[in-house]
Amino acid sequence: MTRRQAGDRRRALLCVAPTVLALGALTIYPGVWVLWLSLQHRIPIFSVSRFAGLENYAFLAVDSRFWSAAHTTAVFTLGSVALEVTLGVTAALAIHTVRRGRRLALSLLLLAWAMPAVVAAKLFEWLYHPAAGLINVALGRYSINWLGDPAAALPAVILADVWRTMPFVAILCYARLLAIPADVYEAAQVDGAGRLATLTRITLPLLGRILLLAALFRTLDALRAFDIMFVLTGGGPAGTTETLTVYAYRALFQTLQLGFGSALSVVVFLLVMAVAWAYLKILRTGAVAA
Amino acid sequence: MTPGLGYRALRSLLMAGLLALGGCAGGQPERGPVTLVFKYARILGNADPLPELLRAFEAAHPGVRVKGEALPWTSDDQHQFYVINLEGRSPGFDVMMLDCIWVPEFARAGWLLDLTTHLRPDELAPFFASTVAAATYGGRVWALPWNFNVGLLYYRADLLAKYGLRPPETYEELVEQVRRIRAGERDPALDGYLWQGKQYEGLVVNVLEAFWANGARLLAEDGAVFPEPARAADALRFLRGLIETGVSPAWTTAADEELSRRAFGDGHAIFLRNWPYAMDLFEAKDSAVRGKVAFAPLPGRARGARGVGSTGGAHLGVSLGSRHPELAVALARHLTSEPAQRAIARGAALSPTRQALYRDPALVRDHPAMPRLEALALAGRPRPVTPYYLLLSATVQPEFSAALVGVKPPERAIADARARLDYFLGAVR
Repeated sequence: MTRRQAGDRRRALLCVAPTVLALGALTIYPGVWVLWLSLQHRIPIFSVSRFAGLENYAFLAVDSRFWSAAHTTAVFTLGSVALEVTLGVTAALAIHTVRRGRRLALSLLLLAWAMPAVVAAKLFEWLYHPAAGLINVALGRYSINWLGDPAAALPAVILADVWRTMPFVAILCYARLLAIPADVYEAAQVDGAGRLATLTRITLPLLGRILLLAALFRTLDALRAFDIMFVLTGGGPAGTTETLTVYAYRALFQTLQLGFGSALSVVVFLLVMAVAWAYLKILRTGAVAA
Repeated sequence: MTPGLGYRALRSLLMAGLLALGGCAGGQPERGPVTLVFKYARILGNADPLPELLRAFEAAHPGVRVKGEALPWTSDDQHQFYVINLEGRSPGFDVMMLDCIWVPEFARAGWLLDLTTHLRPDELAPFFASTVAAATYGGRVWALPWNFNVGLLYYRADLLAKYGLRPPETYEELVEQVRRIRAGERDPALDGYLWQGKQYEGLVVNVLEAFWANGARLLAEDGAVFPEPARAADALRFLRGLIETGVSPAWTTAADEELSRRAFGDGHAIFLRNWPYAMDLFEAKDSAVRGKVAFAPLPGRARGARGVGSTGGAHLGVSLGSRHPELAVALARHLTSEPAQRAIARGAALSPTRQALYRDPALVRDHPAMPRLEALALAGRPRPVTPYYLLLSATVQPEFSAALVGVKPPERAIADARARLDYFLGAVR
């Protein structure tokens, strides 16, 4: 190593040091602390603090409420992301195709996306109102007990979430569509490709990478979803809309079981990490063409 | 600038800083006006009587300023606000409004000033005994009862009179009356009995009332949970039956106080379980049921105990971290005094905790139902008074809900709740 290289290296270390320190203080230290908490029975307000080993995890393994929350989280994530991606692409293609009203459509999409989740949830609370709600009034005598029926509550929550976050996918896709050069389509036309072939052979493959990215963001958000179900149903009925995050919130902030709640948080963290890792692996191997 | 000047400027800056620090630590005797901070949830009603009550306290205590600060809107958020600020040991408030179910928890956590020695021996006598019981933990008093709630059975007096019926004393009678009235009215939009079955604290209250009517409890004196599991399961099965047979609408499983109050207030139901605040709204000028509503005690069961309404309401506690405990106690005492409670009862739809006010001529003129409410309030029963109440409630909520919507047999819901509580309570006891 020459002196110059050594100097560069020192300067580089100096430059990244703030980032490393900030990350360490804000992420690694609390992370390790939560891991440590999860190995204890700890309820500070009652001065309970003793080592529990893996007891909290052992209890989670047989805790029906935990498995129900895990199941709800999985269904919510798969359902909402699948719908958001499908509807988002459709909306982006529609906006890209039409000439008139494009600006209005984009503004409306952004409006839904800009709305805070709690406000959106309150809005849907009224839409789902059993007697006076717009949806049930429209359905007439086939009205549904949206938030009180264990079979309907989770779909109702997913629907509200899709309405709010589909625009995110749509706008990302629309931006990508704008970036596809017109000559690609002209070439396809010259080669005699029909509309369907153009869509499946050119547009969708070109959208692949951005869709994967959008799906990554949405999946990570959905895995940690909290506000929409917290406001709409509080996790009910029968805990059918209680996600892992809602369960962790109740343990950490309502009943103040810091040890047990931390164990739950660690599980959510591992889950999110695993999913993020899987997505990144797909992105990196370039399984989807850009 | 000469070096000497710079040094002097630096020194005076340092001195100023030190002085400021000394002031913060309270090392010097208090100068200037004392400020008390009062945390409370905004009171709904025609007129918020609180600002005037706080000004009256200031007038009686020269040199004292009282700042009323609003709490977050929902009970969950209020609890979280308190926990974060009180656990941090720098509360920044002196007097706080507490949901009665938090008092033992906060007392156990060491956040509340023990009021026992500050009170005169007979000072709590004018309050309802159940409200004092809810403020007592470990034989000490930790808060003053401020406003009061008790579960009531509202009924459509016009409909019952039309069919020659008296308000039901048992749930079995209530079911029969619903059948008769609906058969006669032939109105498909007329529901029978509305109550709160959404998965939240209100559900626990409703289920507890069904437990008590059936001779079951959630928590025994010795700390055992579900000491009468078979009776508890039977009560849950009965509530589920109300929904299955259509006596209560399917959406009961999503109903909170307001959802059910509005449906009844629009004239779409015969019976409603709710708190006293609803009466004023039913009697409002634009109400569809004005003059048609009355209330009675909650029904009991044909082969069980008499019906008892669960009590609720708010208390005022003093933070142990308050720098002016004597003044803070005086403020809590002032706000729970008879004149203050009278003003609150007149200006807002909140019921007093002092029994004598239910026969107060001025109040009875505005609220003719108050003398009747007194008897029901006397019979009310508090939810389990324990520091672990929130743990208890949060654990049983999804299990009760599961039994109500029919995804779990009541026996299993109770067994599951019990297993979870054994693990959690084992850790705290």
